Amino acid sequence: MGNTQTIFTDEQFEAYQDCTFFTRKEILRLHGRFHELAPHLVPMDYTNEPDVRLPMTLIVTMPELKENPFRNRIVEVFSEDGQGNLSFNDFVDMSSALCETAPRELKAIYAFKIYDFNGDNFLCKEDMEKTLNWLTKGELTADEVSLVCSKAIEEADLDGDSKLSFSDFENMISKAPDFLSTFHIRI
Amino acid sequence: MSYYGNSVYNNPGYHDSDTLQIDRSPPRKSVHSNPHGNPYPRDQEAGAVQTGRSDNQTLPGGGLASYDDAQTRVPWGGWQEESWRGRDSIPIGLLSPRPESPHWQQDINQESHYDKSPLVQPPSTTTDHVSTRFRGSRRMSLFPVGEAALGNLGFSEDHIRNEMEMEEENVIKELVAMSTTDRIKAIRDLPMSFNDKKHVRGQVLVFKSFKKSRRRNCFADCSETFQLSFRRCGAHMMLARQTLDLWQGTMKEIGGTFGTGVLSYFKFLKWLLMFNVFSFLVNFGFITIPQLSYDPTPAVPTGVKFTGLEILTGSGYFSHTVMYYGGYSNETRGSEGRPRYNMQLAYFFTIAAYMVLCGAALVYSMARSFRKRFVQADPATGSAWQLLCSWDFSVTNERAVRQRRNNLRIQLKESLSDKVRVALLPLSDRLKHYAVFLGTWILSTGVAVGCASGIYFLCQFEKGSADESTGSLLDEASTLLLPFVVSLVNLVIPLFYSLFRKIEQYPNPRMQVYAIILRNVILKMSILGILCYYWMKNVAERSLCWESAVGQSLYRLVVVDFLFLMLGSFFGEFLSNVVGTKCIQSLGVPEFDIARNVLDLIYAQTLAWIGIYFSPLLPVIQMIKFFALFYLKKVSITRNCQPPRRAGRAAQMQTIFIAILFFPSFVGALSMLAYTVWTLPPSDGCGPFRGLDTTFSAVQVWIAYLDGVSGAHWIVWIYRHVIRSEIFYFLITIIILVFIYIFWQIIKGRKLLISLLRQQIANEGKDKAFLLEKLQDVQKSKQNKQRKKRPTRNRPEDETSPGLLQALLARQRLEEEDASAAYNSFGVSVPSERTMSTTSSAVMQALIARQQAGSQAGSYRGVPFTAEPPVPSSTSALIQAMQARQKAESQAEDGFHRTPAPSQNPVNALPGAMIQAMQARQRAELEELDRSEPERPVSSTSGVIMQARQRAELEEEFYRTPASSQVPDNTGPGSALIQAMLARRQIEDEYVDEY
Repeated sequence: MGNTQTIFTDEQFEAYQDCTFFTRKEILRLHGRFHELAPHLVPMDYTNEPDVRLPMTLIVTMPELKENPFRNRIVEVFSEDGQGNLSFNDFVDMSSALCETAPRELKAIYAFKIYDFNGDNFLCKEDMEKTLNWLTKGELTADEVSLVCSKAIEEADLDGDSKLSFSDFENMISKAPDFLSTFHIRI
Repeated sequence: MSYYGNSVYNNPGYHDSDTLQIDRSPPRKSVHSNPHGNPYPRDQEAGAVQTGRSDNQTLPGGGLASYDDAQTRVPWGGWQEESWRGRDSIPIGLLSPRPESPHWQQDINQESHYDKSPLVQPPSTTTDHVSTRFRGSRRMSLFPVGEAALGNLGFSEDHIRNEMEMEEENVIKELVAMSTTDRIKAIRDLPMSFNDKKHVRGQVLVFKSFKKSRRRNCFADCSETFQLSFRRCGAHMMLARQTLDLWQGTMKEIGGTFGTGVLSYFKFLKWLLMFNVFSFLVNFGFITIPQLSYDPTPAVPTGVKFTGLEILTGSGYFSHTVMYYGGYSNETRGSEGRPRYNMQLAYFFTIAAYMVLCGAALVYSMARSFRKRFVQADPATGSAWQLLCSWDFSVTNERAVRQRRNNLRIQLKESLSDKVRVALLPLSDRLKHYAVFLGTWILSTGVAVGCASGIYFLCQFEKGSADESTGSLLDEASTLLLPFVVSLVNLVIPLFYSLFRKIEQYPNPRMQVYAIILRNVILKMSILGILCYYWMKNVAERSLCWESAVGQSLYRLVVVDFLFLMLGSFFGEFLSNVVGTKCIQSLGVPEFDIARNVLDLIYAQTLAWIGIYFSPLLPVIQMIKFFALFYLKKVSITRNCQPPRRAGRAAQMQTIFIAILFFPSFVGALSMLAYTVWTLPPSDGCGPFRGLDTTFSAVQVWIAYLDGVSGAHWIVWIYRHVIRSEIFYFLITIIILVFIYIFWQIIKGRKLLISLLRQQIANEGKDKAFLLEKLQDVQKSKQNKQRKKRPTRNRPEDETSPGLLQALLARQRLEEEDASAAYNSFGVSVPSERTMSTTSSAVMQALIARQQAGSQAGSYRGVPFTAEPPVPSSTSALIQAMQARQKAESQAEDGFHRTPAPSQNPVNALPGAMIQAMQARQRAELEELDRSEPERPVSSTSGVIMQARQRAELEEEFYRTPASSQVPDNTGPGSALIQAMLARRQIEDEYVDEY
């Protein structure tokens, strides 16, 4: 316990436990991981909540994210400034939303944000094409990409506005039971 | 409400307040970024409130209406709500929060449990936090109030912020009303950043503690403390559970390398392991320990020694231990007077309870899994699903990622081509496909039946050889033949089935997987069925202690199956890996076949369930087996296999596997046990039930005993009226059937409702599109109107001003000249000479001006003249008239001066100019006519213009003839000049008249 006291106060632990899906030990582990990324930047003492932000380039070197095609986008979505600079709280946030116990609704919201590249609250064809290109590393021809995307939109679009709103997306997710387990990064 | 706002400004007390300087600085951010600029921290909350108000007063472009609107939703700060609510109707109460605030702060400091926490000292920390909060809280109002969308609709930033604050306030209100556990869950589920959540949580906590402080209830305090400690305890429990969680890191590693599908196999394995651990604990605790405590040394006959082969065969030494049914006594333990332990009942009820619990757990998890995964799953969302939901975020291995990408690409391409192919399939091909299906199904079923009958005959043969056995080691080893064959069949035939994949062509890959699973299940279940039949039929009649014999056979099956699983993963996976990578490159690295492996597990578990009655400690073997299998498969998969190519829907497969585990496997085992317990006579020589007709007779005997014991009548009653009564089961069946029917109808209704709702969503979408179109139309027309309106207001004043100015200047000059000419009133020639020389420049200017003004005037003339200021138009009309006259003059002048010059030039130029002049004049006239005539000078000029026009017409006609006939026009200009002169004179006259 002596070690835990120096990193976070009990109140901080309470707050973390109430606001995220993590236990005390996991918070400490997360801090360890965060500290690992930049040992000279991240202090061991978080009791006074230092405002340390790690840049995206550092975050994406984590083995859990390194191979993920959406790594930059994930980090961007969870950073408070939208540029990909993560504070420890953002980091906890990210892990919490992507952890196993997070509910489907929360995951769906963040997945939607990740896929919504232009931030217009719709998954339009542009977003889908970008997603597909990231997923296949641009190995499909432009025609194929366009065909697949328009088919996907057509399938999932309920209200016929040829773009996917959040409710369309949620509806699709509800039919894809795997999503809960696949939208999941074990940190 | 607007009265409040005004009174805020008018109230002198307000202006005397300390926060005045803050109040006057309009932008909110600057206020909040410097909250400590307030020199009176005591009043900070008052400042916060009033700043809130001031923001609303400075809403840009909001107008009074939006201000009023905003007033009603001003977040006073969630924690202050209670204190303000009472005074809402008294405006003045809002304005002097000062006397209240110290008391309120004291309350917090005295009563709050959280006052040591830095997050929940609201007056200072929340304001300090606000600036970051607003940055982050974009996340909060994600969907209904998207920032971009609102921005498009023209909402100001403050408006959006107010919306968000209101939303946040609502959230806090909701949270305050919840219980602690619900609140924590709700806070966790909020789609906000951690800082926002922390802020919300802090506010909720402070609000709660404030409410409590008003109540000043000791009991509430105690319960709060209790709850807090309880929650902490719960958190610690969770921590401990996590530490005990088996294979956490390994699971992560596997999931990271092979994805969720393969991981589900390992999860299933772990789940089954837990079943067996539970069953072991129950059996060991309630059956084996009592047995061992009274009879610690097994009754092994002399001469039987532990040789080592028992581990494989389970017979010999083991058959006399507590491993099997035969090792248990039928005695009632314990001395008189003390509670006694009846081994018969213990044996019966332990096994029964275990089976019931297993069944309940299976039904529960199956139903949950069905509800969550299968029923909702809709095969319609193919490529959308592939695109947006299929990516496995947990995969972290570089090779696996690359492979997944390839798979996805191939699948997408296939799905593109599939659509085309299926549509074009002719009838003959389809018939051929059906024939192939039929053939493969007949073949696979035939193979299964053949295997089953082969095994039955092998059993018969073994029985014959066992009768002649002498108890030698070789004979003992020969008992391994049957399990060996069974396991071999289980290993080879599925491989044979998987060959069908080459000739069958299912429209859907999932159908293919289902077909393979179904065939394997039929095979395994028919083998087990025939074995059970053999045991029930032949073994039960023959052996001295037949339960132990069956137990031994099951033990052998379990152990040999384990060996074959190991061999299978070694030969199946390792060898095919070697072959695929070294010898035949085209085969490639083998995939991990989830379906086959899971079916193996299900088969193994079925054996364990069947065996639990005959060998209570069989779960121990099963535990060891599964534990070893986990590591074996883990090593094998990381060394030899690649992730499955098809990113199948693992969750659905899991549901199917649980269903298979329940239906043929568990239900089969249960029915076999039930048959044994209810109908088969237990062996006379051994076991706890020796001497009874059936196993169930033990219960009957017990009930008969209980009948004489006072205080146990209810058990007897239950037994007589529930367990043994047909009417009870009849009623239960009827009720269940009725319920099933009702629920079935409800499901039908819901399906209808779903389709209707779907239709409604589509309609709403259409409505939305229609309304959007309308809105765009309206916006467009509005913009057009504005564009049209703008010239009427601006252009004559701004853009055309140079033209107008020039024209006006020219007119002034003309007037001056006219006036001077009028005053002089000398001969015509002198002033006309002067005017000619002076007008030339004026004419030039006027021409330019006219060109500009003309075009502009033309552009705005199309608009209905409703709100036109009359003066500019009249001036422009006048100017045009003037210009027309000037032009006529200049042309006349030109014509006069340029007589010797080649006539082509003026002839070409003049008619055009004339026409322009004509048009301009006509237009001017029209305008004059349109307008009412309050001004005399204007009407007089119109007369002038009329005359000038008439003359110009003459000129025009005159010019037109020479232009067409190419006659040199030295005479023309002369007469034109004269006319122009006359016209000018007239104008001059009129001007003089006016003066």
